[in-house]
Amino acid sequence: MASIMLKDVVKSYGKVRAVHGINLEIGHNEFVVLVGPSGCGKSTTLRMIAGLEDISGGEVLIGDRIVNDLPPRKRNISMVFQNYALYPHMSVRDNLGFGLKIAGQKPKVIAERVAEAADILGLSELLDRTPAELSGGQRQRVAMGRAIVRHPDAFLFDEPLSNLDAKLRGQMRAEIKKLHQTVRTTIVYVTHDQIEAMTLADRIVVMRGGHIEQVGTPMQVFNHPVNTFVAGFIGSPPMNQLPGHIEAGQVVLADQSRVPVPPRLAGKVREGQKVILGIRPDDISPQGHGLGMPEDAAQVATLDLRIALAEPLGMESLIYTTIAGQEVQAKLYGPRIVQPGEVLTFQVALARAHLFDAETTRSLEVL
Amino acid sequence: MSTIAERAAIRRRIQAVGLWLATFLLMVIMCLPGLWVVLAAFRPNREILAKPPIWVPQQLTLNNFAKIFGFGSDQVGIPVLAYFTNSMVIAMTSTVIALVIGVGGGYAFARFRFRFKNGLFLGLMLFRAVPGIALSLPIFMLWSRIGLIDAQLGLIIVYVSLNVPFTIWLIDGFFRQIPISLSEAAQVDGCTRWQAFWKIEFPLARSGIAAAGVFAFLTSWNEFALASQLTRTTDSKTLPVGLMDFTAQFTIDWAGMCAMAVIIIVPALILTFLVQKHLISGLTFGGVKG
Amino acid sequence: MTPFLLLLPAILTMLFVVALPLIFSFYTSMTSYRLTRPETIEDFIWFRNYIRLFENPDFWRAFLRTIVFLAIALNAELLLGLGIALLINKITWGQRTLRTIMMFPMMFSPILVGFQFKFIFNDNIGILNNALQSLGLTTQAIPWLVDAKLAMFSIIFAEVWMSTSVFAILLLAGLFAMPRDPIEAAKVDGCNSWQVFRHITLPFLMPFVFIAMTIRSLDVARAYDIVAIMTGGGPAGRTELLWTMIARVGYDNARMGQANAMAYLSTILSIAFTYYFYTKLVAARRYMGGAE
Repeated sequence: MASIMLKDVVKSYGKVRAVHGINLEIGHNEFVVLVGPSGCGKSTTLRMIAGLEDISGGEVLIGDRIVNDLPPRKRNISMVFQNYALYPHMSVRDNLGFGLKIAGQKPKVIAERVAEAADILGLSELLDRTPAELSGGQRQRVAMGRAIVRHPDAFLFDEPLSNLDAKLRGQMRAEIKKLHQTVRTTIVYVTHDQIEAMTLADRIVVMRGGHIEQVGTPMQVFNHPVNTFVAGFIGSPPMNQLPGHIEAGQVVLADQSRVPVPPRLAGKVREGQKVILGIRPDDISPQGHGLGMPEDAAQVATLDLRIALAEPLGMESLIYTTIAGQEVQAKLYGPRIVQPGEVLTFQVALARAHLFDAETTRSLEVL
Repeated sequence: MSTIAERAAIRRRIQAVGLWLATFLLMVIMCLPGLWVVLAAFRPNREILAKPPIWVPQQLTLNNFAKIFGFGSDQVGIPVLAYFTNSMVIAMTSTVIALVIGVGGGYAFARFRFRFKNGLFLGLMLFRAVPGIALSLPIFMLWSRIGLIDAQLGLIIVYVSLNVPFTIWLIDGFFRQIPISLSEAAQVDGCTRWQAFWKIEFPLARSGIAAAGVFAFLTSWNEFALASQLTRTTDSKTLPVGLMDFTAQFTIDWAGMCAMAVIIIVPALILTFLVQKHLISGLTFGGVKG
Repeated sequence: MTPFLLLLPAILTMLFVVALPLIFSFYTSMTSYRLTRPETIEDFIWFRNYIRLFENPDFWRAFLRTIVFLAIALNAELLLGLGIALLINKITWGQRTLRTIMMFPMMFSPILVGFQFKFIFNDNIGILNNALQSLGLTTQAIPWLVDAKLAMFSIIFAEVWMSTSVFAILLLAGLFAMPRDPIEAAKVDGCNSWQVFRHITLPFLMPFVFIAMTIRSLDVARAYDIVAIMTGGGPAGRTELLWTMIARVGYDNARMGQANAMAYLSTILSIAFTYYFYTKLVAARRYMGGAE
């Protein structure tokens, strides 16, 4: 068990840079999720920690060792691959025990550890099968079992759930969370699915184009995105982003309609500044059908909107409408059915709205 | 009333019959020539030569085999046993060497990115394309200078180089069918790259490598153009070259030749049968997936 | 460095056993070397062997015959192979057995294929003439291997018999690997079965055609073995191909210089052929990548 530290880590393929000098400290026993769209460098970063990719620049430390020049086998880490990478010619038992056998452990120790891991993951009945005879979820568990038998310093997960169907993914997510609570080890987990990131992580690292955009707890990243990219990437459906500019303490949107600047940001705007107003769909709701709308009238804006489309999801509906000529998503809580064309009065929770500088895309909150 | 459904059913039946007929004809053309030779190998020469022809064999005998192997009363002056031994030794040795070289090369192509990779692959294939008879001329001249004419070693060296390119093509295909993450997982699990290869990738590619081996073996076993010029005597002559011994005589000993043909065919058929499935997958996978 | 170390044995073998001899062959092709007079290997005559070849009508006849032979044989193999693949693809029962049987001719020694057809086409005792006569289709023996045109036909027949399997098997593998969706999409879009074949199946099969052609191109010269045993280039040189001519000039007439010049031309021919289809294959792979 150990912390992991990345110092100015760079990866380049020839002249192309995939990772641009990343700095990250992962604490002992921390569960960190690297998240971002494909090609953002998250997998490359993970593979550099694992030793499967050469590090072009900077340093990677596991514990207090610089591991740049160590091959994977000397880093005392284990990894769960996207396609599980189970050895097809070995039984589940041999798959689990392979790493220990290579390390020259005694058969008795191997048997004990395999039994222990199988017990944790509910694989005890399947030990004599081959991977081909397992279902997707079972294979996933074997892959995790193979990681835990070795009692490594850290687990690395490379999009482990992306080959599973939606239902199984939810189940395995919970199991990974439980696993972390039982075996308490440092985990670095890569995914492009922001729901996995939100539900699993102690801290989320949002990446884009080989850079780290933001590091924080799930709630920090969700409630205080540092820029429009993070705001759009974390949260589903994504945050609505409306361009406008500041005039006399108000945000003037594209169609000249006005929304007050959220009170907490009042001191941070410049007159005439071009901004982007960010509002999560959950914070735009028809009157009486919102969730957690602020009591204080100054924190709420009211406007009439025509409904373009409504997607009922049971106890809530996702509503498509237009604000200032731009399509916007809103949430309606409760069993009410709405029809396209209906005009309803909506409330906007200004207290939770965000403002970003239109030029730098950075949140005004952090300035 | 003849309904549309009925007519469609009749058309389907005609199609099915046509399909079977075509397949049957195809199989006859495919199999009959070989079967006729095999059958003739077990018939006495006078029955083969009979006019009018004897269609249904009246007498089956192993005499032809006994004769060419030098048993029994009337012997044929062709040392088939020596040819057989030469063929075996040369084909086996060259196959083993070609496989060792081919596994290394195939693995390099399947798993590494390096400069000139495509050019090198193409280059190997182009070397393989040199016609055997054209290549035989300079090799004949060179080998006679260094005393490799009429030596098993001389043919073995040539066959290794003949087999290396195609072995690499096949083995490259087999390795690429194995996800690279298996080797990575093994390395994370504590293996060196070499251990990961031996414990994971090699066992998984084993049947494919065996198929490549069979293909190499058969190429050597069947080769004629080079062998016919580089061998002289029982020291190194192989079966295909030996078959020509029969035609050199004034009267052709058809029965003996057929018996010898059977000796050449049988190992080929057995080996092909064993590996046919892997062979196809290796050929297509290596070719189609760039 | 590792990949080059792994490839080193392969590269060394090819350099020593193919490249080096080819250089030597090129040198020899510019001498008047005769096996019977070893000192002539130093008699350097520049391109005179090549010029002499180009002035020799026998060479041109053999050269053209080789081209025609290849064109007919390869096209027949491709079309028959395609037909057979489509046929077997339709059959549901015994498919694997049929496929296995089809592999056998591929594994036959060419010399054996030649002998087999020499036996079958033999005008006196061959099964073909015997059958034709028994059925009353002809009264006299047809001289399959003696008449020039018939001999050429017999050789092409043997060649096609031996090599059609390569096409059939690879195209069948292609048909097996073919995804069903595009075919169904085309049917929904209103294509009839010919149009589906022409616009969907055939383009999908092209990479497999190129694989087969590339593989075939590696050993087109195996036809030498067949001709050597069936007719030996006869009657009167009427089935002489480039390759049998090389053997005759080089070994029988001992005129190594001249033979090497011819061998060089045949090598260039083969290499060009392989190169062409290999580049086609590489190009076809690119759009295959889009289908996945």
